[in-house]
Amino acid sequence: MFQNPEIALHELPGTDQLRWQNLHPNYKRRLRVQRIIVILAISVIVSVAKFTLDAPTLVTALPLALLAITATVLLVWPAVSVPRRGYVMRDKDIVFRSGVFWRSVTAIPFNRIQHVETSSTPLDRKFKIATLKLFTAGGTKGDLKIDGLGKDIAEQLRVFILKKIGSSIENT
Amino acid sequence: MKTPDPSGWHRTSPFAILFFIGRISRNIAKNAWQSLAPFIAFLFAYQGELVNKLLIGGAGFVIILTTASILSYWFFRYRILTDSVLIRQGVINKKQLDIKFERIQGINIEQNVIYRYLGLVTLNFDTAGSIGNEGNLPAVTQTFADSLRLQINGNSGTGDTSRTSSVTTSNALLRLTWHDMIRIGLTDRRALILFAFAGPFFERISDDVEQIIIEWVEIAAGFGLHLDASNAVSIAVLIVMVIVIILVVISIAAAFLRFYNFELTLDHNTLRSVGGLFTRHEHSMNLGKIQTLRLQQGIVQALLGRHRMTAHQAMSGGRQRTKKVFDIPVVTAELADQLRKRLLAPESGNLSQDPKSAPFVSVSPYYMRSGILFLGLLPALIATIALAPQLGIYSLLILLWVPAVALLTFRKWRRAGYLHDDNEIIRRSGLFGYRTVGLLFRKAQRVTITQSRYQRRKSLASLRIHMASGSVRIPYIDHTVATQLRNYMLYKIEVSQQAWH
Repeated sequence: MFQNPEIALHELPGTDQLRWQNLHPNYKRRLRVQRIIVILAISVIVSVAKFTLDAPTLVTALPLALLAITATVLLVWPAVSVPRRGYVMRDKDIVFRSGVFWRSVTAIPFNRIQHVETSSTPLDRKFKIATLKLFTAGGTKGDLKIDGLGKDIAEQLRVFILKKIGSSIENT
Repeated sequence: MKTPDPSGWHRTSPFAILFFIGRISRNIAKNAWQSLAPFIAFLFAYQGELVNKLLIGGAGFVIILTTASILSYWFFRYRILTDSVLIRQGVINKKQLDIKFERIQGINIEQNVIYRYLGLVTLNFDTAGSIGNEGNLPAVTQTFADSLRLQINGNSGTGDTSRTSSVTTSNALLRLTWHDMIRIGLTDRRALILFAFAGPFFERISDDVEQIIIEWVEIAAGFGLHLDASNAVSIAVLIVMVIVIILVVISIAAAFLRFYNFELTLDHNTLRSVGGLFTRHEHSMNLGKIQTLRLQQGIVQALLGRHRMTAHQAMSGGRQRTKKVFDIPVVTAELADQLRKRLLAPESGNLSQDPKSAPFVSVSPYYMRSGILFLGLLPALIATIALAPQLGIYSLLILLWVPAVALLTFRKWRRAGYLHDDNEIIRRSGLFGYRTVGLLFRKAQRVTITQSRYQRRKSLASLRIHMASGSVRIPYIDHTVATQLRNYMLYKIEVSQQAWH
């Protein structure tokens, strides 16, 4: 017999009690290494500029001081931001949270995902991590980008989501 | 008008050359000036008279344009299969397009004056994922266009099988009169934008204007009239007013060109608009493709009691995302509500998108805090302190910026709101005017809830609903409401048996 029970908003599954999956433990180190490379490159440029242009110490000291402060923040920041990122795979969707000051939680239903992509830079491969990108309609650069996943986990997720996309298309 | 081919490939009418002339000219105007560099270099190297140079230049340009258009026509072939249109084009870079009927979101038809006389039209296929005018069939007969449209609509399940001609007048939803053309012209922002861009140009000719004014003053003095500074200001104001009036007249003329005899019809699930003075534009869109319905009203539109309504389809992919919009340039709020009832029936359309309708829920007043703080107070304090040594006590006048920003933020907060039922949600926003955006929950692509530290303290959140046509943000609502709406949206997406596109 046809049934059409009323749905109470508070009875719908929420995201408050979710068990968030953390990113790969190597991700923090990977971020720091990348930032150290960039900071060193900028330091070398500033130092070379000082010696070649014979700039006064005061002129180069200010950028170097700013660089030192920025470098400290950049190197400490992964310890603050990475633990606050996480994802949960549910039966019907994937939920991702991120942000320290501005915290956001994004949910993408599997039946809205157009395609899935995994990618890794040489530095990612060194730390055995990868990025998972999920694309929905109307987006361009990847509507949900989960950095810092273990390489194997990213591949497992990609296969799992593709299966889910397939089953949702069959059910439609 | 088409040449049959044993292999099934057809060539369009030779009058398609006109279409290619237009397309190539537009491409040159847009981004291919550099390709004319060798030609311009030749002109500079040529030692003859200037007139001869221009004549040779003009003749050369016409020859190149005509040759390129004839070649484009010659290499343009199309083939209609049971489920797709194949197009082969390109002289040097060969390209084959395979446009699946199911991917076609809308079919647009253009008919310029010459084509109208010959009974020809240009078909444009609006597809998800393509950019530019790639899916065009130029200079085909109206009968062929109609039969192809029937075939495409039949294939994509739109049920639009009742039509045999391109325009019917039986079930018109809206017809625009010449009064409406004037309204469209008056509310077109492009006239003001043109005026703003023309500012530097006016500045350049100001010396000439000044000279003219001096001459007028001298002539007036000759007649015994003595003009002082206030008269000069009046003349300047008069000149600006004349320029504005000219721009408005151009704008109204443009409205006549684009929307003359505009008629909006609904045939089963296909919304169609036809209009245009010389070139007739016919746009059609399947109702199922609508992602968001927008109603906007600027200051001038508010004075005229009219709105602009747009139906947004899924944006095409690629780096340059193109918005696909079905435009209804001028409607009253009542008519807009009637239209949305027809467009969203039977599943929705009961809510009013009129921004002045009562039941909109306001967002939290805390919404104003960040605007006043970061756009008003902080910049004003920094500017006051920084300029205090130069301006002294007068630097305090900069603080007047704060109440001005506070007033604008208050207006923005008063206009921000939302309204929903079981199937759809409407967001209202605006500063001087109003904009309302309506969407069906089941068509959402993804949902994001964001909270700043301040919002967390006040149990508030901002909800962003990502649609295939762009995102809609509802700021500073109760966190519990935001999560309930998000969860309900995910539920509606999951249980909906209908396609989102």
